[in-house]
Amino acid sequence: MNLFLQGGEVATENDAPQRADVWILDGVIKNVGVIDVPEGARVIDCAGKIVMPGMFDAHVHFREPGQEKKETILDGTEAAINGGITGVVMMPNTSPSVDSPTVVKRVLEQGEKCRIPVLTSACITVNRAGHEMAPIAGLKEAGILMLTDDGDAVPNAALLKRAMEYGKEFDMFFASHCEDPQLCGPRALNEGPVSYRLGIQGTPALAEEICMDRDIRLAHATGAMLHIQHVSSAIGMETIRWWRDERGAKVSGEVSPHHLMFADEDIGDYDTHYKMNPPLRTREDNAALLQGLKDGVFRIIATDHAPHTDFEKSQAFVDAPNGITGLDTALVSLHDRFVVTGEFGWDLIVKRYSAEPRRMMRLEVAEVSEGKPVDLIVFDPDKETTFTKEFMRSRSSNTPFLNRTLKGSVEMVVLGDEILLER
Amino acid sequence: MARKDFLDIVSLDRAEIIHLLDQAEPFKDLFTRSVKKVPALKGKTVLMLFYEPSTRTLSSFEVAAKRLSADVTIFDVPHSSVTKGESVRDTIDTLQAMRADYIVVRHRLSGQPAAIARQTNASVINAGDGAHAHPTQALLDAFTLREVYPELPGRKVVIMGDILHSRVARSTSTILDKLGVEVAFCGPGSLVPKTRFKRFTNYEEAMNWGPDAVYQLRVQKERQDAPFYPSDREYHAVYGITEERLKEISDKGIYVMHPGPINRGVELCDAVLDYDRCLIPQQVENGIATRMAVLFGLKPDLKNEPS
Amino acid sequence: MSTALDPAAMSAAIDRLADQILSAAGGQAIDLVGIRSRGDEVAERVFAKLVERGAQARLGVLDISLYRDDYEHLSSNPTLQSSSIDFPVDGAHIVLVDDVIFTGRTIRAALDALFDYGRPSKVDLAVLIDRGHREIPVEPRFVGEHLKTDRMDRVDVSLEKIDGKDAVEIITQ
Repeated sequence: MNLFLQGGEVATENDAPQRADVWILDGVIKNVGVIDVPEGARVIDCAGKIVMPGMFDAHVHFREPGQEKKETILDGTEAAINGGITGVVMMPNTSPSVDSPTVVKRVLEQGEKCRIPVLTSACITVNRAGHEMAPIAGLKEAGILMLTDDGDAVPNAALLKRAMEYGKEFDMFFASHCEDPQLCGPRALNEGPVSYRLGIQGTPALAEEICMDRDIRLAHATGAMLHIQHVSSAIGMETIRWWRDERGAKVSGEVSPHHLMFADEDIGDYDTHYKMNPPLRTREDNAALLQGLKDGVFRIIATDHAPHTDFEKSQAFVDAPNGITGLDTALVSLHDRFVVTGEFGWDLIVKRYSAEPRRMMRLEVAEVSEGKPVDLIVFDPDKETTFTKEFMRSRSSNTPFLNRTLKGSVEMVVLGDEILLER
Repeated sequence: MARKDFLDIVSLDRAEIIHLLDQAEPFKDLFTRSVKKVPALKGKTVLMLFYEPSTRTLSSFEVAAKRLSADVTIFDVPHSSVTKGESVRDTIDTLQAMRADYIVVRHRLSGQPAAIARQTNASVINAGDGAHAHPTQALLDAFTLREVYPELPGRKVVIMGDILHSRVARSTSTILDKLGVEVAFCGPGSLVPKTRFKRFTNYEEAMNWGPDAVYQLRVQKERQDAPFYPSDREYHAVYGITEERLKEISDKGIYVMHPGPINRGVELCDAVLDYDRCLIPQQVENGIATRMAVLFGLKPDLKNEPS
Repeated sequence: MSTALDPAAMSAAIDRLADQILSAAGGQAIDLVGIRSRGDEVAERVFAKLVERGAQARLGVLDISLYRDDYEHLSSNPTLQSSSIDFPVDGAHIVLVDDVIFTGRTIRAALDALFDYGRPSKVDLAVLIDRGHREIPVEPRFVGEHLKTDRMDRVDVSLEKIDGKDAVEIITQ
């Protein structure tokens, strides 16, 4: 394949986008700069568009095996491509859980059939039940780097401590879903004026903060590397910052687009499209988390893509499952909400949603520069995207952006020698 | 244009509330006639969908509907604590097929009547959902208070007890507030959340505030998964209307209200029921008239398909 | 639009009604029940005339909003007003009073409402205006004024207390 992306602006993690053409030949970037059209190349007009490395989402739920009605690994990756994402890390709370080399092998085999690389994390405890350690060495051998019981916290601190002491020896890192099981109530929404108004027991931010504190201290004491998943609380974020900067703890954090954009007020009249775990908190939390992202407190952005069927999401608020999809919408929504408004630029997105997630997973960082393998997307900041069911590729459409029109569009995705998406 | 549903007080404005209260008066007048029925809802079907058991609210609605000449059906729904989406959906499909005009729903889960209202053309009336709302209770409470205080603005009412789990606290505080009444909450610290209303965690403080009426809530044992206060005895001593407190209330001419059913010896001592300014019987009586006004004021949307 | 009755004519019509009712009563007590809205004001005025002439009379008022036959066609139900009949209806000779009789449906509703109060021994109907075009077999015994109208005409009755003036106007469509 001989492709010439002409007239665009190339985005990197360190600088604002620079005007440059990109010449791609046989899966490798041959040249980046203001250049003449090479002979025989197919020219793609990228005037006014951004050319950047493919995004990487380190927290997705693809529901396979066990709940394929909501999503399959294949559909999940197609949703990723649709959203400009060229690599994912799946979470292990499937049925059966990814808690043994056999299941790891099974999901990775499914992943092989997809058009983008698919990685998976595995459980800390067998079946995420919090009683027995999963076969960590075997998991390492099967290729696992990230251990998490995501969906739940490990309730027993002693068990988690032992798992960390043991697992760190295999050069793996731990990722925590932080939530104190005794403070979390029915896990429906944030505790506050909204939960009072709706008459549903809320979960205080305390439930997350206490558990974050616990897990960070355990990791620091044992020397394990820890990554805090989907942070929703401003105070919780400060805990990460303090331990990392003041005490040198090996802890990183991730934030989701929805915790930056939405608050519990948005639930309105029991709208389950705003129901997830951890729940949406307050506008003050939104602002603080956004600032934390800009200040570098969060290592990565990740969607926590959580598909559920329409039927499930139309249940009573307390009964409906937690979570929203994110892969189809993340990049466009981040652009619409934050780049357009000048909150941050493409450099932050490339760093936190492409480069750092790959580094965290010890992969080669994707770059749009000479000699690198092709892993890039073309984004049109002026075109609009309407997120209809037909447009989105995820099997499920439980997103607050359903049928909304946002500014920005993923126009093209190129990986290796193949164009995965071209609108 | 009339509303299709009656789901909560929050969505009503002051004018609508006053209109409903005014509309309840002529219905109350009917009670003195020998024929208490009027044909206003003749030929209409009212379905009772009570997922949570209740004798008083159910029978109050039943009488109200029958006095409007409607046909009342009590739908046998599972009372198990686990009524998952599947069964609620099936029920709604059946209701649609039965062409019910009005559906009165009581449910353990907040938001469920609203969800049903979205899926059916019938007029849905919320008879109490989780800890969220109990709008007809609020109406009869406001109506009762208005009977003793025709000028409500500036009056003070303290709502006492388990505010946290109480849909009555939410709806009644909202309606009184909209009508210009000053509302305060009082109860154990673990059961009185922060809201825009004054908050007392001490009975004496609440009395010093000078309320015109004390509204005692029922202690909701069934909604508390863990103990929120040490014991009923302590609750009664600290927050209940003891015989001693009743004397103070009686001396000051303060009215006493309670949504029922009463936990005797917990919220109130027995003597309260003999107190002449105890409005509990009037509350019960006014329940029928206010519910008739609600039924008469709604319009089902039977021409169009549900969205 | 044409003025069918001016204040003087209306006053004369009220007088005529009072006279007719009085002479028909033959010395017996007269029980008037006015139909809201406006029938009640007509009843009040007739009642005043009857009292003036020394008759023994009682006055009640009936709101028929709960007895209509047309709720299906209304986008919102009518605002209710109170009814008040302080004397026993059982065995009474009631004179129902309304401002205008047209199709007769209002009177049918009024009869349904009245009979839910008790069983009168007799019911008569007095109207200020009879504008014809009956759809129900109901006829007033006492009429203040007969008006010739088309079915599609609108007849607006204004009364001093409720509308600020006395007039009957016919508006042709």
